[in-house]
Amino acid sequence: LLELMENGSGCLNGSGAADSAEKAQQQQQCPAVQLSERNCEAVRVIGQYLRELGLARSAEALVLEAGCPLESGAAAQFRSSVLLGDWDGAEASLASLRRALWRESSWSEIAFRLAEQRYLELLESGAHIAALCVLRGKLTPLQFSPDRLHRLSGLIMCSGPEELRQLSGWSGAAGGTRQALLDSVEQFFPPSVMLPPKRLSVLLDQAVRAQVSRCRHHNTSLSPDQLTLLADHSCQAAASVPSVCSQVLDAHQDEVHVCQFSPNGRFLATGGRDCVAIVWLVEAAANPPGAPRVRHHLTLRIGEERGGVAWLAWSPDSRLLLACAAEEATEVIVWEAETGDCIKKLKHRDEDSLTTAAWLPDSNHFVVGGNRGHFYLCSVDVGFEKAWDFIRVVALATRREDDGGTAVLAADTFARIRRYRFDTMQDETLFREDGPVMSMSISQDETLLAVCVASAGVHLWDLRLRVCRRRLHGLTHGAYLLHASIGGPNQDFVASGSHDARVCVWHRGCQAGDGAQQHLLPDKLSGHGGLVSCVSWNPRHHGMLASASDDCTVRIWLPASLAAAALAASADGTGPGGAGFSSNGCCSSTVSKHQPPPLL
Amino acid sequence: KSPEFNASYSMGRLHIEHMGGERVFSCANCDCPLTNRQQLISTRFTGATGRAFLFNRVVNLDTSELQDRVMLTGRHMVRDVSCRKCKTKLGWVYEFATEESQQYKEGKIILERALINESEGFPDPVKD
Repeated sequence: LLELMENGSGCLNGSGAADSAEKAQQQQQCPAVQLSERNCEAVRVIGQYLRELGLARSAEALVLEAGCPLESGAAAQFRSSVLLGDWDGAEASLASLRRALWRESSWSEIAFRLAEQRYLELLESGAHIAALCVLRGKLTPLQFSPDRLHRLSGLIMCSGPEELRQLSGWSGAAGGTRQALLDSVEQFFPPSVMLPPKRLSVLLDQAVRAQVSRCRHHNTSLSPDQLTLLADHSCQAAASVPSVCSQVLDAHQDEVHVCQFSPNGRFLATGGRDCVAIVWLVEAAANPPGAPRVRHHLTLRIGEERGGVAWLAWSPDSRLLLACAAEEATEVIVWEAETGDCIKKLKHRDEDSLTTAAWLPDSNHFVVGGNRGHFYLCSVDVGFEKAWDFIRVVALATRREDDGGTAVLAADTFARIRRYRFDTMQDETLFREDGPVMSMSISQDETLLAVCVASAGVHLWDLRLRVCRRRLHGLTHGAYLLHASIGGPNQDFVASGSHDARVCVWHRGCQAGDGAQQHLLPDKLSGHGGLVSCVSWNPRHHGMLASASDDCTVRIWLPASLAAAALAASADGTGPGGAGFSSNGCCSSTVSKHQPPPLL
Repeated sequence: KSPEFNASYSMGRLHIEHMGGERVFSCANCDCPLTNRQQLISTRFTGATGRAFLFNRVVNLDTSELQDRVMLTGRHMVRDVSCRKCKTKLGWVYEFATEESQQYKEGKIILERALINESEGFPDPVKD
């Protein structure tokens, strides 16, 4: 740069004294490389960025060497005039730029802003007469925005620069307002004349945002402008997504069909064909903090002739556990989870089939139903309360509504998801699925519904907008019931069982590179020896996932970072089984009772 | 009353569909719902156990491999169907009919009358 200065080629874009013609001549002599149009654009954008950072000399050197002027000559003239306060010169440059405007109608606005800046600066410096001349001679003839004109003429009464700045909200000639004026004018001209303000910053921001949208396990609270530019952004799966099996629970004697964490995250309930429901305690190890482990608490029997436990539901206060049977499901049982006391055995009629249930928010009322057409509202205090006739219920969930009441969401055998109000006896179809519904699960904040559709995957519905937000594919279909669960701190993760003995985990927030929603593939966790029917996220320890399988075990999955700590702390027999992502589960206690029959 | 089924074949809980209808047909052995009267096309068929019905659509069935069978009405390609829950053989499904006059049967299912029960259901919901 010093060399250039000595040569006397004062091609400083910012110096208003430089002659345009001389500058152009210098630039024609300087370029060392021939640049394509795209590269020239890149140089212009980089030059603007450097100039905005305050590195004006670097910007000049860049322009000189590349031979790409940042903007047209007249625009450069205009810019330097404004920055120096040469208003007449600015007006002259502006006149020559007039042809280049996007829209002719914006001319008066630009001229007004220019004159307004001049007027305010004159007022600030105390030249009231000159200011008045500008007001009469420049601002008024434009006939642009009488309101602003009126306000500006009012400012002439200000006693001093302080008051002027305060009243007008204008921060003064030294307060960066000249640059602000340039920024606001830039939008009226095409980029070939004047670059849009902060162009490189905008491009970099767009790139980072695109990376964030592709991040498969995105769960950071950092905003895009805090992320590094040096490498493509991608959240570490190890910290948030469960990938390692930290515990294998083998207390069940037969296939396990259901697993549910309680809403407070302290209990896990599991049940299956051996007709028992087991309650486990979740303990977060103290040292190191945050590595949760599960320990056996109670075994509760539902009776041998029942065909096994079909469904388990926790009351919202996490105090009570309700169990439905699979065959001969005439009775539902409610226990108190802490003590194991049987609080209620509810039976209404001998021909009932009640295979699914959901609690209402008061932890006293619950709804039960089955596909033979029984759909009842019951309570722990009173027992059977109301029936809704002729609905063959497949799955149930409840949701609080705006008026304080609770809506019961029921999927039926006609693949409709409907909303029932037992207090007002109103019902309504929310949406209809295009295939038979196997099960349904609502997110903890009650905004999303995960519907497992036979041979179609998991469909995520938004309950406020009543649209299907995502269709999640990748799980293996078959003849048996699968359950899904929504979890994660922002309801970002969906997990489900699968017929290929693996647990599927999706991060629903990310989009494939081209924004297509359909091709969201899950992470698959291996380790089980049989069909995985049910999964459940722990609502409090967000990375903790439980899965129930036909291999008679329940597995606990943790993110890799937590799991390492949990493995180190394990002392009892329920030691860790196999690994997660990459197959191999050499689990000592896995029992695979019989070979699965060929699934047709 | 308790259903008899072969426990060694059950893995997981089977997904059992239900077609609804005011008159429901189900498996005589295990009471698994199969179809309804609206799906009935004809009662004038004969199976191994005697009378058989032709239905348009039936759920909860497992199908066998394709078989070449010559029947009174001509040569057909059929698959045997059995109850998904208890594996009892219930009839067959026509996949291909060689004679043009028999092609109306393709895709339809024969269930033998002796192997199914008919029972009361309730009216289907109005289409909304």
